[in-house]
Amino acid sequence: MSRILVIEDDVETAEEIASCLSAAGFEAEQCLDGARGLELALSEPFDAITLDRLLPSCDGLQVVKTLREAGLETPVLMVSALSDVDDRVSGLRAGGDDYLIKPFAPTELVARLEVLLRRHRRAGKAELSIKAGDLELDLVSREAVRDGRRIELLPMEFQLLEFMMRNAGQTLSRRMIFETVWEYYFDPGTNLIDVHVGRLRRKIDLPGAPSLIKTERGVGYIFSAP
Amino acid sequence: MLYGLVFALGTVALLGMVYLQSAVYLTHRVDGILNTEADALASSPPQEASQRIDAALALDGEKTSVFALLSPTGAWIAGNLQAAPPGLSPGGRPVEIAPTPSFHANARLIARTLPSGDELVVGRDVNQLREIRWIIASALIWSGILIILVGLACGTALSIGPLRRLRTLQAAGRDIAGGNLKRRMPTSSRHDELDMFAGTVNYMMDEVERLMSEVKGSTDTIAHDLRTPLTRARAQLHRLGQGPTIQPEDIARVTAEIDEVLERFRALLRISELEARERHASFARAELTGIVDQVVDLYQPLAEAKGVKLSVGERRWATVEADPKLLFEAVSNLVDNAIKFTGEGGAVEVRLGHDPARPEIIVQDNGPGIPAGERTAVLQRFYRGERHRLTSGSGLGLSIVTAIMRLHGFELVLRDAHPGLEAVIACRTQELAF
Repeated sequence: MSRILVIEDDVETAEEIASCLSAAGFEAEQCLDGARGLELALSEPFDAITLDRLLPSCDGLQVVKTLREAGLETPVLMVSALSDVDDRVSGLRAGGDDYLIKPFAPTELVARLEVLLRRHRRAGKAELSIKAGDLELDLVSREAVRDGRRIELLPMEFQLLEFMMRNAGQTLSRRMIFETVWEYYFDPGTNLIDVHVGRLRRKIDLPGAPSLIKTERGVGYIFSAP
Repeated sequence: MLYGLVFALGTVALLGMVYLQSAVYLTHRVDGILNTEADALASSPPQEASQRIDAALALDGEKTSVFALLSPTGAWIAGNLQAAPPGLSPGGRPVEIAPTPSFHANARLIARTLPSGDELVVGRDVNQLREIRWIIASALIWSGILIILVGLACGTALSIGPLRRLRTLQAAGRDIAGGNLKRRMPTSSRHDELDMFAGTVNYMMDEVERLMSEVKGSTDTIAHDLRTPLTRARAQLHRLGQGPTIQPEDIARVTAEIDEVLERFRALLRISELEARERHASFARAELTGIVDQVVDLYQPLAEAKGVKLSVGERRWATVEADPKLLFEAVSNLVDNAIKFTGEGGAVEVRLGHDPARPEIIVQDNGPGIPAGERTAVLQRFYRGERHRLTSGSGLGLSIVTAIMRLHGFELVLRDAHPGLEAVIACRTQELAF
């Protein structure tokens, strides 16, 4: 079971994050103070940290900077009410791995943490291809093969599929997809991501068979190999 | 006041200089004549000196000259001066004396020691000189007084106008500060400094008034927009509370309503965040053709799904100084709107303007367009036209575009495309218009 450290000064928010992490099968440890959180993170092993950007006693940016300087590579998900691109950039530059803006849906938080954990576990391993059931994504030739049939993918479709396959079994919100695949940080609005996913589905799915990409109503998508 | 003082001092100094120069010149001339006469007398043989003095005096019919020969002890030998006045020394500075019994006018004297040891005194009537000096002095004093008086009068007359205008400007300023945002600074047709100043203040006030009215309007809009989904969510929760069981779909419905509120909040925050942003913070040379291509790529599947033909029109290579990500966001919003409102069977074209000096990104659709009366209103912050209320989404897309435009100093122009709407991002800095 993954242990997550939740550094958040607002008791309500901290409780909410912790309970939704527990529900998702994580072991959550709460900490209401930046300095104390830093101490905990440095002294005990955690798999990931959620960190509020604005904290009393010690700023969130400072916490993540200190962690990185201490050589700790634990994935850090920064949570903040500051949503400006500059704030996001400064958060990521300080060593944060992802940036989530308040208010957020609990599922979104869990989804982002899962993606971070996976990426962390995968780090350092060189891959040539990703496999999920009978679908194989060739990372070198940048094409997909399903059931022996080659599938032509546009560059964006390839990136979308790669992101989904890497996080198979994980709920991915539309916003996460837009931010990771397209690298834009605004609200894409009107089911823009839906149509991209729909198009990808038509390319990779086999007629008659259930789709590899399932819709999670009101949340996002899950890629799951049959 | 200060200028008046400087003017008066300057006039006094100028006239003083004129007087001093002319007085010095006249005195020098007298001294020159005296020296010439003294030299002539001194160069004659010593025994002839007294006769020559007598002869000179005899010739001086107008009695304007003083000649005297005094012994080394100061005793009178010849001439019309009985004794040397005090202060007169041979070879020293000229001395002026008051009228004496033997010479009835003011005289200017110089003295020389002759080779025989006697002292020669030569002088001239300086009453004329004094009179000329006095004439010059009085002429200068009177003209000075006149100049200063006329100057002061003109200055006062000239400054009354601007002063009065300044007073009205002050009054207008106080009125505005007191809360009357409709008041403007009065301007004249003179186009002088005061008018420039008043123009700047008026421009500032227009902006302030616009912002104030927008804030007021936006508060109403936000309240209205948020109340609707919240009321629906509340009603659904109420129904759930009364029902015996709760279905997951019911929860999903309420969540969707709340999500709509959150989405609107996000858009509102995004707008205020854009407005609070420092200009040029992340500006770079943005390549417009790239942005257009990317936006069309991003929206192509959506357009296809909606049965809208989305295409890239003519695009001439152009770059502008901008935040590329924000420009992308702005164009995305316009394309999103165009697809949304054009509907099945419509066509949307994104193209760049012809003139590379005035780059324009044009998003044209053949949908229903925006009524002329509503076209300027939709550009206001947080304005949501009637058509927005029928569609999903935050409905604040155009407000976000406007905020991005304002950050760049660009302009969003909405035009009638006969049929449809042409939304133009004019990438040129707006001049301040006075």
